[in-house]
Amino acid sequence: MAPLTPRPRLGTSLLRLFTVQGSWNYEYMLGLGIGVAEEPLLRDLPGGPGGAAYHAALGRGTHFFNAHPYLAGLAVGAAARAEHDGASPEQIERLRTALAGPLGSLGDRLVWAGWLPFAAGLAIAGIALGLGWTAVAGFLVVYNAGHLALRWWALRAGWAHGTRVPTALHHPGLRRAMAFTAPAMALALGLALPLGASYLAAPFAAGGRIALAGGTALGLVLLWWRPMNLTGLRLGLTLIAAALVAGWVWR
Amino acid sequence: MSLDVQLVLLLWGTLVGLDLVSVPQIMIARPLVAGAGAGLILGDIQLGLRLGVVFELFQLDVLPVGAARYPEYGPATVAAVSAGHLLTGAGGLAIGALVGLPVAMLGGLSLHLLRRLNARAVHRAAAQIEQGDPRTLVRVHVGGIVRDAVRAALVTGVGLAVAWVARVTIAGTLSERGFVALAVAATAAALAAAWAGTLRLVGRGQLLRWFALGLGGGALAVWLR
Amino acid sequence: MSIALYRVDDRLIHGQVVVGWGQPLDASFIVLVDDTVRASDWEQDLYRMGVPPHIEVIFASVDEALRRLPEWEAERRVGILLTGDLDTMAALARGSNRVGKVNVGGIHHRQGRSERLRYVYLTDAEAATLRAIAARGVDVTAQDVPTARAVPVGEFT
Repeated sequence: MAPLTPRPRLGTSLLRLFTVQGSWNYEYMLGLGIGVAEEPLLRDLPGGPGGAAYHAALGRGTHFFNAHPYLAGLAVGAAARAEHDGASPEQIERLRTALAGPLGSLGDRLVWAGWLPFAAGLAIAGIALGLGWTAVAGFLVVYNAGHLALRWWALRAGWAHGTRVPTALHHPGLRRAMAFTAPAMALALGLALPLGASYLAAPFAAGGRIALAGGTALGLVLLWWRPMNLTGLRLGLTLIAAALVAGWVWR
Repeated sequence: MSLDVQLVLLLWGTLVGLDLVSVPQIMIARPLVAGAGAGLILGDIQLGLRLGVVFELFQLDVLPVGAARYPEYGPATVAAVSAGHLLTGAGGLAIGALVGLPVAMLGGLSLHLLRRLNARAVHRAAAQIEQGDPRTLVRVHVGGIVRDAVRAALVTGVGLAVAWVARVTIAGTLSERGFVALAVAATAAALAAAWAGTLRLVGRGQLLRWFALGLGGGALAVWLR
Repeated sequence: MSIALYRVDDRLIHGQVVVGWGQPLDASFIVLVDDTVRASDWEQDLYRMGVPPHIEVIFASVDEALRRLPEWEAERRVGILLTGDLDTMAALARGSNRVGKVNVGGIHHRQGRSERLRYVYLTDAEAATLRAIAARGVDVTAQDVPTARAVPVGEFT
């Protein structure tokens, strides 16, 4: 399908998508950010930027929406294309509703529970192996190569497919990425945990290392059992408060 | 530490805080990057990396799925590196963790407050937004980003102030043994959080095998070193 | 193991369900009960995309769900049952005594709803529906992710 809108508008929309969570709130969630990103793609609707079609579409674009921010472009592109194709407001609302959950789930699995911990795990392992600042730079480069590719693909795929956007999600590249990230994440974090522990334990004497191993085991049991909704942060605050008192008493 | 350096740290913490949710989410908000950046600014890259790893391990306990609430470890890591800078032995890690963890909690609370403020701003302009007024829409959206920048700057500023107070008051009252106790406690909590978060992420299915394989490789690398 | 989670969530299958709950529970199947989605092939296709290949997604209407609940409860695999609205869950709770616990995971802002929790917005009628489910002896709580506190129905309706 030939693009209806000049390509630079897709670029503007992509740039705006980097701010898609800028006005995130519990009521509309991503809604306003989606509207802001969709706006450049709606300027060519009949009547132009001052026309009734443009205003109605923009109003719809801002309704409640939530999805993974990197894949939000798929909804932006698909909804804008559906507006151009003359889909009814009900169809567009239904499309948005149906896209929100799956795009959230796909993105969370692919990025938050896959690509990000994978890259972070490799970076921790790299620092522990003495790569220093290079490991951090490598993390940023590797992570963002995937990040930027995903954002650009999502917007273009949504714009190309409109209401037939489920087809885009069958893209073999996406399937390969999904198949790769989960095992890669598990492998990288498995690698990172002993290396990270060894790196952090290095400055401690034998007694300190034994206390560290015991404290880690106890903390893990508590976090697994989660009494009173214990989180890592709360465990940390509790342990350092206890250690601070012990440090003052035991001089 | 000079005022210039403090201002650069404040700017870095603000960018880090803004990156977490609002713009551009390139993950400079991760503690590894935030800590390394703060270490570079202070000329103490090793402490920046060490505290970055500690808070990155805490971060692994957090899964930001579908609008859940979570602590904010980025600006907290910047404040932690500032607190631990120039302290000898285990002091850097100890005072850094002591400052960073409460600041992470404050960051999480501030995000919750920001979302409430954003909702109020949207309410005030709801009618115009529903009518598809682009100016109002962009104004409210940009307002949210500016609000987040102010929030991130405030959290970092408070963190840097707490870091200064902790260095002046608490650091001098602890012996080396006290520093070690604090550092061990923080590291143990970080490792436990990372293990718990990883095991939840990996689940009980086939990913456990990949995790076990990685664990074996990591343990071998430790042994060979 | 049967159905480990009966959840009301207007986003249906999304990250909190698949990653937040599905991974720690080691869920092998998700039952999505929604009459509209049951009748729409393209929406079913979309929701299937949201889950990893090892998780089976079963789409059911309310009537089908009531008929097949004993079968799902007898499964050796762990499952999650999802509805997008309270009326659907209320119909399941009325029609079957197998629904012992209901998790309110996310009902979001819409005209006429007021905030009860940051992820639960209800009209007065919806709050009454939840209390009616609880009055049947069902344990109703709100909890978006497993690491959050389960809020009893009395605290948010």
